[in-house]
Amino acid sequence: MSQTIFTLKQRPDVPLEAEVLTPDVVASLSHGEVASLPLFMGKRQFRVDDFFEVNGSGTDNLVFHGDCGRVKWIGRAMSHGRITFSSHAGMHLGAYMKGGIIKVGGDASDWVGGEMSGGLIHIHGHAGGQTGAAYRGSMKGMKGGTILIEGSAGIELGMRMRRGLIAVRGPVRDFAGLQMKGGTILLMSGAEIRTGAWMVRGTIISLKPLKMMPTFSAGCVYNPNFLRLYTKSLAEHGFTTPVDAWHGVYRRYTGDTSVPGKGEILVWSGPAH
Amino acid sequence: MGGKVSCTLGEVKNRADLIVYWGGNPAECHPRHFTKYSLMPKGRFVPNGRKDRTMILVDIRETASAKAADIFLQVRPAKDFEMITVLRALIKEQPVDTKLVAETGLTLEELTDFAQRLKKAKFGVFFFGMGLSMTRGKHMNSAALLTLAAELNAFTKFVAMPMRGHGNVTGGDVIMRWTTGYPFGVNLARGYPRFNPGEYSTIDLLIRGDTDAVLVLGADPGATMPQPAIDHMVRVPTIVLDPKVTHTSKIARVHITTAVTGISAPGTAYRMDEIPLPLKPPLKSPYPTDEEVIRRIYQAVAKKPPLMPPVRPKVPRV
Amino acid sequence: MLRITGGKVYDPANGVNGVIRDVCIQDGRIVADVEAGRTINATGMVVFPGGVDVHTHVAGAALNFARAMIPEDHLHSEPFVRTAIRRGGISGATPTTYVTGYLYGGLGYTTVNEAAVPILSARHTHEELRDTPIVDKSTCVLMANNEILLDQLEAGETERARHFLAWCVGAAKAYGVKAVNPGGVTAWKWGKDANTLYELVPGYNKITPAGIIQSLARIVDDLGLPHPLHLHCNNLGVPGNYATTLETLKLVESNRAHIAHIQYHAYGGNDWTTMRSESTRIADYFNAHPNLTADAGAVLFGNTVTITADGPWQHLLYKLTGRKWGNIDVENETGCGVVPYVYKEKNLVNAIQWAVGLEMLLLISDPWRMSLTTDHPNGAAFWRYPEIIELLMNADFRREQIKKLPPKVLERIILPELTREYTLYEIAIITSAGPARSLGLRQKGHLGIGADADVAVFNDIKEARKMFAYPRYVIKGGEVVIEEGEVRKTVEGHSLLTQPFHDPKIADFIRPLFQQYYTMSFDNYPVEMERLEHPDVQPCTQANS
Repeated sequence: MSQTIFTLKQRPDVPLEAEVLTPDVVASLSHGEVASLPLFMGKRQFRVDDFFEVNGSGTDNLVFHGDCGRVKWIGRAMSHGRITFSSHAGMHLGAYMKGGIIKVGGDASDWVGGEMSGGLIHIHGHAGGQTGAAYRGSMKGMKGGTILIEGSAGIELGMRMRRGLIAVRGPVRDFAGLQMKGGTILLMSGAEIRTGAWMVRGTIISLKPLKMMPTFSAGCVYNPNFLRLYTKSLAEHGFTTPVDAWHGVYRRYTGDTSVPGKGEILVWSGPAH
Repeated sequence: MGGKVSCTLGEVKNRADLIVYWGGNPAECHPRHFTKYSLMPKGRFVPNGRKDRTMILVDIRETASAKAADIFLQVRPAKDFEMITVLRALIKEQPVDTKLVAETGLTLEELTDFAQRLKKAKFGVFFFGMGLSMTRGKHMNSAALLTLAAELNAFTKFVAMPMRGHGNVTGGDVIMRWTTGYPFGVNLARGYPRFNPGEYSTIDLLIRGDTDAVLVLGADPGATMPQPAIDHMVRVPTIVLDPKVTHTSKIARVHITTAVTGISAPGTAYRMDEIPLPLKPPLKSPYPTDEEVIRRIYQAVAKKPPLMPPVRPKVPRV
Repeated sequence: MLRITGGKVYDPANGVNGVIRDVCIQDGRIVADVEAGRTINATGMVVFPGGVDVHTHVAGAALNFARAMIPEDHLHSEPFVRTAIRRGGISGATPTTYVTGYLYGGLGYTTVNEAAVPILSARHTHEELRDTPIVDKSTCVLMANNEILLDQLEAGETERARHFLAWCVGAAKAYGVKAVNPGGVTAWKWGKDANTLYELVPGYNKITPAGIIQSLARIVDDLGLPHPLHLHCNNLGVPGNYATTLETLKLVESNRAHIAHIQYHAYGGNDWTTMRSESTRIADYFNAHPNLTADAGAVLFGNTVTITADGPWQHLLYKLTGRKWGNIDVENETGCGVVPYVYKEKNLVNAIQWAVGLEMLLLISDPWRMSLTTDHPNGAAFWRYPEIIELLMNADFRREQIKKLPPKVLERIILPELTREYTLYEIAIITSAGPARSLGLRQKGHLGIGADADVAVFNDIKEARKMFAYPRYVIKGGEVVIEEGEVRKTVEGHSLLTQPFHDPKIADFIRPLFQQYYTMSFDNYPVEMERLEHPDVQPCTQANS
């Protein structure tokens, strides 16, 4: 498969803004056109080839080499194609994304998949805060699609998310599923505090015990069948889950009663009898 | 989803019969607050002053302000968000988990009584300080209290207001809003304002080292910010405008001494309730005002060739 | 010196209806002829006096509060990128101050009336207006819930009430007087409202909303203020409120009054499910009473934010929308609420509101007494006026739009029956000549000799929406500020104010009350004249009664 390869020449001091680097923009352009697209650093405007060595063109398959941890907005609002990072990716990766695939070999920063509505983001390292979240003031976060994180994730994971799936293998910080309105969050190593705070609807599944908010009501223990469907779809993306998790029983909590909301938190409480 | 329900301080003076200070120590940090606005004054509808008012203090320790309070509620550190969320449930008569409630340091009975007092007030007010807004949960702690105040208006009249400090921070916030649309955390690099606290807020920019220069005006971040932020100010050219020598001016590349606003320079200060007060300087200063220095820097910069082409692409809309 | 030649001139105040003639400008004024200078060839274009907005919210504590509440709206609004001429900012429901000036100028508007200013934060309003370029600005000070004033009315001290009000207009450096939900905002401070005009205002034993309205309308006329009492009636936005509105109009029969955003006050029905238009009843009464002027407060579908001193209404709206709510009560004077709102085409209530706005504009027969507004930003942002102009000028277009509404709406509105189409002459009246006359601004809204040289030049094309959204030239005070839709020059506007006569001793009466009820020093209360940008005091007809 042909690729357009962007190799970062040097890590920028001041963050770069690169909202043009998406398959939607790049795919139809010649090599020269891609190289001359505008990038912004502070209040100065640069060209793509000021910071990246560009190889190839005419594809919707973009590959980034080098530490792009300070390059923001790559994959913004992309609707198709593929972006692969061999190392780190910067803030707002795949924000407003509608379709396609983003894979990150290293870490990603804050606001991964902010307000995304479709597509897949798979981070092999850690993710920052506000993954799949709503931008400040906005009523809806992630509206669809899938975010998979092999490492840890920061605060406000899936804040105000409406639909879609976020799965995190590593530990997650405070306020996971804050003001959640729908969709599913899978926490494989649990989360710190205030999980599901102010949630209205949606499902948070934790394979580790959680520090619950006092505004959730404990309910029955049961084995939710739908979890097996998730196993299958996650496995298709190469995101493995322990077999026990899907055959186990879960304690169901509902809340947040302060809203009052009808969200559910399912906490794994042991293998099925 | 909440919001912000507030009033000017005279409304508190004239009407408030329930005053709640949360995570703040006005007795020591805002010493005139009790006497001028909240607790002591005889107001139009609270003619007996202090006797007509109830004061509740919520804090993690018994500060000097507790002496002034009728009721002191000691919340465990970093449990404010849980406590406020429980109150939000209780005012709506929704269930809460008694055992987990106890982890806030307060019993369900205490919180139920508090919730009843909030609902029964004729005019209630929350004043909240940095003990709430700068501890674990930060902006969500403030959001929780603002939302509780908004929701209490289904039962009575209730408002909330941050206890802001450090000179004219409210004024900065007010003017940022009318010039950029946003109160703080604004980035103008692309030629128009963009907002994202956490990304563009000063402390985050400095800790990540995202700027290649720093201009400090009316603040002393060198005294209050975490070490990585201070290290960055040492690393890059930092320019300080201040009448006095400060922690920041000592690490700055350039310190321009300016006149003291309000003493030897005129202007406007916005009170914590956003009421503008004219500053009428009694003295003259040999030093230029902040405004004059900025104006001259701006004029000098304007003479240089522009950094941006005349037509600049905007971030596309979604 | 400037000559605009070859354009079809619409100058209703001087009876000029589409006549090709030259408009000449010198020293910021319209003159009979000029010897030299630039000539603008306006062949194939129409020439209007600069637009005047009689009721808008563009500056001050309430609007600025709203700005902070809707970062999500800013994010998706049109950004204004900074250039050598123009400062950066954002548009949307609550544009930043500089952008407000550019956007108004960019519509051919050169004068705006900020309709709601508390005295206590008037200094803030004037600071923002100073940062609003291009347009001239006037303000209305909020008086109908001012407790010191209400105390005087309660005590029957009408003379003192008049001096106090006059002092307040002077202190706020305001131009006119606004009454918002008289008595209702005072009641709101205890979480209540004033729903009927003859109930006592909470905390008072004699005064009612009706009494406040009559007293204020009389005082404003007695003082000879150029603009009549600017009245936001009780029960704004509530189904069945037309009855309150009609009663209110009867109360001011022997005075002048300007009825703000009349659309929001012309509803029938008993609740949200039975709500219907009662525009005919309001318009019939209005048409027969020449003492009244009004502005539309029309609604357009889309995102906006509602801002009003009507606190109780805003709390109701918050409960209805379940979104965000902002509120600031201002000590002893007024309150203000902020609620982001989306008007939806498919929503029955919103569709009725949309129709009622247009109905009021079409049913009020004398365009001189009806101004185009959206009560910016409440009904829609002001920069959407061209969409309303299209709806007024083109009955076919209107019919197409009506087809998109839920069918259930049709039996609740009369809009489909109205065939009236506005002419360009009438558009010039409702956007400029009329509001200028209603405000009592003699220098504005016309192109006669001696008038302020505020002129808008538009392409003479069929689609009004495009024509009025992109003026070819806008001239403010004789300077070409907009050319081909672009800001070419930013001039500073004037601050229009009045200083009605008051007994100077009134300050001695106010001082102790002020120290008792307020929380700042009395000497800091009045706004200093030097804080205003180019203050321009307009005369009152009763210089010293």
